[in-house]
Amino acid sequence: MKPHELIALDTNHSTKIAMSSAEGPTHTGSPTDFLKGVVGKRVIVRLNSGVDYRGVLSCLDGFMNIALEQTEEYVNGNRTNSYGDAFIRGNNVLYISAAEPL
Amino acid sequence: MASQVLPLELIDKCIGSRIWVIMKSEREFTGTLLGFDDYVNIVLEDVIEYEITPQGVKKTDLAQTLLNGSNIAMLVPGSDGPGY
Amino acid sequence: MDASVTGIQEPLDLIRLSLSERVFVKLRGDRELSGILHAYDGHMNLIMSDVEETIMIVDPESTLNGRGVVNVAKRKLDMLFVRGDGVILVSPPART
Repeated sequence: MKPHELIALDTNHSTKIAMSSAEGPTHTGSPTDFLKGVVGKRVIVRLNSGVDYRGVLSCLDGFMNIALEQTEEYVNGNRTNSYGDAFIRGNNVLYISAAEPL
Repeated sequence: MASQVLPLELIDKCIGSRIWVIMKSEREFTGTLLGFDDYVNIVLEDVIEYEITPQGVKKTDLAQTLLNGSNIAMLVPGSDGPGY
Repeated sequence: MDASVTGIQEPLDLIRLSLSERVFVKLRGDRELSGILHAYDGHMNLIMSDVEETIMIVDPESTLNGRGVVNVAKRKLDMLFVRGDGVILVSPPART
């Protein structure tokens, strides 16, 4: 199933992102362009709860569901867990920030 | 008849400028606006995050950042933020 | 990392590859689950078996400066449906 089909079907998720550049503004710097540049790079994912996940961004979909590799969890700046892989449900995501130069 | 300006057309004019983002919770961001989409997910550069807590304001510097639109309350164009 | 190396094109592939494996699930409300994943859908509704649930009981006084867990409750559940909207994170077993 493709991301846009999920968007059409899913009613629980409110978090969405325009995956196709045809949907959004065409200038560079759009969320889609940012994500294309950041896949495979080290990122900081902060959740609405304030918990941070640092790792390598494997991929993500239109709901901002995220797959991270080499994931480390930080609560109030303290490392609390590490995971080889982690799936993060997109509705919890506050932001995705580049942790290395793009 | 007054010309109709859509809200996101105004935000589109702010691309390249500093912008102040106020979340629904006690959290704010300033940064240079690089782009956004129809859900008002926002890409910022040279970002400062402000967490407003009873203990004070915690500031965090961030590089290029995609901010999820679902918890954004307000955008203040051309502003360099709260000045905390 | 290249998607062709990891075999993951979208985040849900990570979950698909974890079917029949023991997964760690972090839920809202300071709950964690460890169990065998049998089924999932696009909402992240999950069916898990042989589950151990860990509930962190947090002291609001000490959460201000960090690790404020004062008590941990654990229980076993044979078969479980997890509603997707409570899911924060799913971690599959280490890939080899």
